[in-house]
Amino acid sequence: MKTIKNILLIGLALFTFNACMNDFDEPALTTPPYGNNSIGAPNMTISEFKEKYRTQLLAATPTEITENIILAGTIVGNDETGNIYKQLVISDGYDAIIIGVNTNGLYATLPIGQKIAIDCKGLSMGGYCYLPQIGIPYNTERYGIQIGRMSRETFEEHMKLIGTPGEYGKQTPLDITEEYLADKTNKDLCPVYAKLNNVEFKEANGTELYAPNDEIAERHVKIGKQEIIFRISNYADFAKMTIPTGKLDITGVLTRYKTTSKDVWQFIFTSTNDIVQVK
Amino acid sequence: MKGSNFSDKSLNINILSQMKKIFKYVMLFLICLVLSNNATAQNVEKSQSAAIRMPVHHVQDTVIATDASKMAIPEFTGTGIDKDQFTFTESMLDEDEDVIQGASAITTSSDDFFLSEVGYRWSSMRFKIRGYDSQYNNVYANGALLNDAERGTFSYGMIGGLNDATRNQESSTYLENSGYGFSGVGGSSNINMRASQYAAGHKMSFVACNRNYLARLMYTYSTGLMSNGWAFTASASYRWANEGVIEGTFYNSLGYYLSAYKKINDKHSISIVTWGSPTERGQQGAATEEAYWLANSHYYNPNWGYQNGEKRNARVVTSYEPTALLTWDYKINRETKLTTSAAVKYGSYGTTALGWNGNAADPRPNYYKNLPSSAYNVWDLEYYDDPANAAEKEDNIASWWQLYNYWKESKGNRQLDWDYMIFANKQANAVDGECLYYVEERHNDQLMLSIGSVLDHEFNKYSKANIGVNINTTKGMHYKEMSDLLGANKYIDVDKFSVGDHGLDSYVIQNDLDNPNRQIREGDKFGYNYDIYVNKVNLFTQYQYNKNKIHFYAGANIDGTTMQRDGHMRNGRAAYIDANGTMHDISKGKGGTAKFLGGGAKASLTWDINGNNKLMIGGGYSQRAPLAYNSFVAPRIREDFVEGLETEGVLNGEISYAVKYGAFAAKINGFYTKINNAVQQSAFYNDSEGKFTYLTMTGVDKEHYGVEAALVYNVTSALSFNVLASITEAEYTSNTNGSSMTEDQQKLKNEKEVIYMKGAKIGGSPLTALSLGVDYNVNGWYLSANLNYYDRIYVSPSLYARKQSIARADGGYDENGNPTKPNIPAQFRGDGGFMLDASIGKSIRLRGGKQLNINLSLNNVLNNEDMVTGGYEQNRGDLNEDNEKKTYVFSKNPFLYYASAFNAYLNIGLRF
Repeated sequence: MKTIKNILLIGLALFTFNACMNDFDEPALTTPPYGNNSIGAPNMTISEFKEKYRTQLLAATPTEITENIILAGTIVGNDETGNIYKQLVISDGYDAIIIGVNTNGLYATLPIGQKIAIDCKGLSMGGYCYLPQIGIPYNTERYGIQIGRMSRETFEEHMKLIGTPGEYGKQTPLDITEEYLADKTNKDLCPVYAKLNNVEFKEANGTELYAPNDEIAERHVKIGKQEIIFRISNYADFAKMTIPTGKLDITGVLTRYKTTSKDVWQFIFTSTNDIVQVK
Repeated sequence: MKGSNFSDKSLNINILSQMKKIFKYVMLFLICLVLSNNATAQNVEKSQSAAIRMPVHHVQDTVIATDASKMAIPEFTGTGIDKDQFTFTESMLDEDEDVIQGASAITTSSDDFFLSEVGYRWSSMRFKIRGYDSQYNNVYANGALLNDAERGTFSYGMIGGLNDATRNQESSTYLENSGYGFSGVGGSSNINMRASQYAAGHKMSFVACNRNYLARLMYTYSTGLMSNGWAFTASASYRWANEGVIEGTFYNSLGYYLSAYKKINDKHSISIVTWGSPTERGQQGAATEEAYWLANSHYYNPNWGYQNGEKRNARVVTSYEPTALLTWDYKINRETKLTTSAAVKYGSYGTTALGWNGNAADPRPNYYKNLPSSAYNVWDLEYYDDPANAAEKEDNIASWWQLYNYWKESKGNRQLDWDYMIFANKQANAVDGECLYYVEERHNDQLMLSIGSVLDHEFNKYSKANIGVNINTTKGMHYKEMSDLLGANKYIDVDKFSVGDHGLDSYVIQNDLDNPNRQIREGDKFGYNYDIYVNKVNLFTQYQYNKNKIHFYAGANIDGTTMQRDGHMRNGRAAYIDANGTMHDISKGKGGTAKFLGGGAKASLTWDINGNNKLMIGGGYSQRAPLAYNSFVAPRIREDFVEGLETEGVLNGEISYAVKYGAFAAKINGFYTKINNAVQQSAFYNDSEGKFTYLTMTGVDKEHYGVEAALVYNVTSALSFNVLASITEAEYTSNTNGSSMTEDQQKLKNEKEVIYMKGAKIGGSPLTALSLGVDYNVNGWYLSANLNYYDRIYVSPSLYARKQSIARADGGYDENGNPTKPNIPAQFRGDGGFMLDASIGKSIRLRGGKQLNINLSLNNVLNNEDMVTGGYEQNRGDLNEDNEKKTYVFSKNPFLYYASAFNAYLNIGLRF
């Protein structure tokens, strides 16, 4: 019986020893395991970029960026709640640009406040209904070639993380006034990292939801006589939450939507954390 | 244990497929005749969305065509080089099933040559006798039934590594008398665990192989029955692989068995045994052919990835089911004996799986969006021929290339990226965000008491009878635990799938309303936590008469089953607030009890025509309770039962003929089994709706029929040839009604909808299996070789893909709202193929009565790497909500498993 006992003990010891197999060291992650860390230093601001390529950025037909341009910006809009989908908004100050990426869960590594560099060479720029974006050309049956989203792989190749989230401080949004909205030339500056002060949702009545049905819901805010449209995704995590009543400060991205028949202001935000009740 | 002497065993003969039909009708007729005497066991089958393996027919040969332009794409040949895909979707309940040891237990110990051989010989293809689900096969230990009362099956992990300790087995087929219990259609076996049954002495063995594990050490010692009436036996084993033959897997398993036996006097003896097999192992996952192709191996395993440069498997099973067994043998008199056993098991079974939270992307490397064919539809090249789609074609081909190159670029790209997941969690920490990726461990623990008692009486030398009872009470404990937060600081216990439908501030999203928004730390239970109670009592009696040329057997049973759920969390999806503002729920606490009464009868008659020719006919019918596993609408969150739960019926008939002629012996056996009114549930993460879904169908009808044959020809006393054949048809015979329940639905949708199951084959086992074997003995050497041919191997059908609303037609609906031409997926069928096994062994007697045994088995000598053993269809449809075809064709991309490549198993044993 002694032998048996010994064998059992040995077996048990072996088992205990090997049972540690499941313990893994946490990686140091001194360089992010995501993106392209070989991208060099930014060489142009978003403001300069938008200024230089204004025409191309508004044009429906995309233009390939052939110049060696590296932009830097901080994430001010992402897909955390699903209200923004397959897009990121980065800004440098309040000058913002939209980056289209054909994948979900971008916020996992690119939370609000993360600074990134975008190596634009080889990507394309263009305007989706006059809203500037960086992406790749996309063939559509109906509208021909348009600016579309780049693949996850392409994005990873053209993007580098800079620092940790929040390391470079918060961006300052532009306070939007009635005068700003009334000046139509400002529409060409979109997208803009922006703040709407003391506004109310027209639809808010204490029971109305952000997006009650299986479709995108349009919600409205007025600053003076100027109207801004919020298109709330029915897939947003907060879609079935009640629209807050009363005066609100809303931070997000001021955008525009222009077709042959209309040219309106729109506004996108990431989460309900961007909406603060005015006391 | 295999093939000792098969003088009166059977042989098989091969029958043409047309004869199957004729046979079926003959059987039906015979069954009607015998029905009054018959009993049957029953079965139910649950289709797991995840773990079934079946063959599939290979996808087309070419794939991506190309228009000779710059965009040429390499050929994606379905036949074989590689592909893979596997959905270990995070919540599949069933994917963990360890099918590896799927062969029925009856096989090894039967004295029927066919049965004793096929379990082992065809195990590399996971051959299931007659295509039966393993729940129709009962495994007893000293007469206590060890099958899991919730799922119906016996868990081989319970006796893992205890080969020596469980070697003493007896088994019986459905139509044979058994002294320990009552057999279902799949037969039964009983492991004799009494310490006195082992040969006295030491036995040590060492195995080296390249399989799931690489090495095994086993030691057994028995005192034998000593003069003082005591016997002691102990056995221990250890199986190990730092990395098994499949990349990213590992194996770490201890087995122990301790047994004492005391013969008190001539009438009484007592046996006490305890055993267990603590095991930790990393699993292999299935993959689609495309992924296998990209990884250039049919053994690609998507379950692992690098963390800090080390391989880490996301699917780790940790199991330990210690069992104690007390047996009392009472010899009342020379003719009568009473055997009573009680087994207690406290089993812990956990499987880890990756989870992802919020709107994080699916991290699985072989998630369909990561596969090239999600960008370019290789199944519908005609679409791209339309000049209107030329631009799209160009885009899609470019995307195809990008994904293809990504897969090909490095091994790491084809695997999980743990560093990325941990990095994402760190990023979340930086902004006080929630965990994105984590590892959870899903537990199916069990406390079981099983009692078996059989009173056996011999009336005279011709006849005997027994009466017995099996009682089982089981508490199944189901919950999940946070195993690893992967560096995240915060995880809140709400149902992410419900958030979009109900809002973050709704009570509905809470998994535990008594602890809303609870922060989960590693080791905490979360998500769901409930117990299932099952009680079963089975009373049976059997009679056997054997005189002159007639052998008669009859048996009957009656059984009762109750089941109930007891919830430990008040789940928001199972709660509602009434007009007075009071909340009610059907989640926490005990629910109602469902009760079922079943039973049946069976009989067989054997006519020994002249000593060399024997004819047997027999059959039976029984009613059997559904499995608890299939019976609850959505057990993770609520207590109610599936609507229309009833017992299922199992009708079985068999006829066999055995002949001996000189050195030649043969037996052929035909069978027909009809299972009707069964219940089957599929529980899986529904990727298209982003919800965990239960889909249950009732009124399931299945048929199994076919022939089994064995033939042995002893050329000399040293040389013999044998032929085995099994040709089975096993399929669903009718469309059924199904109802779906997703975990975010507060109210059950009671609408039933048709599930197009008719004609779907039972998957996961070759329905055609043929074998030619040769055995040769000389000078203590033993050589054998078997050439096997397998065909008609199917993947398990997806209930979801066959649901009316998913398989909806291109062609519109009739006045009843049913699709006129449902788009039922063509069930993948694996290609037939040959596999050759060989073994060589030698037994050497040493001085002092010691004996050395050496055996080397070589399996799949021809290294056929293209034998599909099974798999499962994807739980997704091919059309989107607007009835447009999706680019990725789910119905053409089942998940597949392949039989092992060439492998060797060297066993060196020493008795001393």
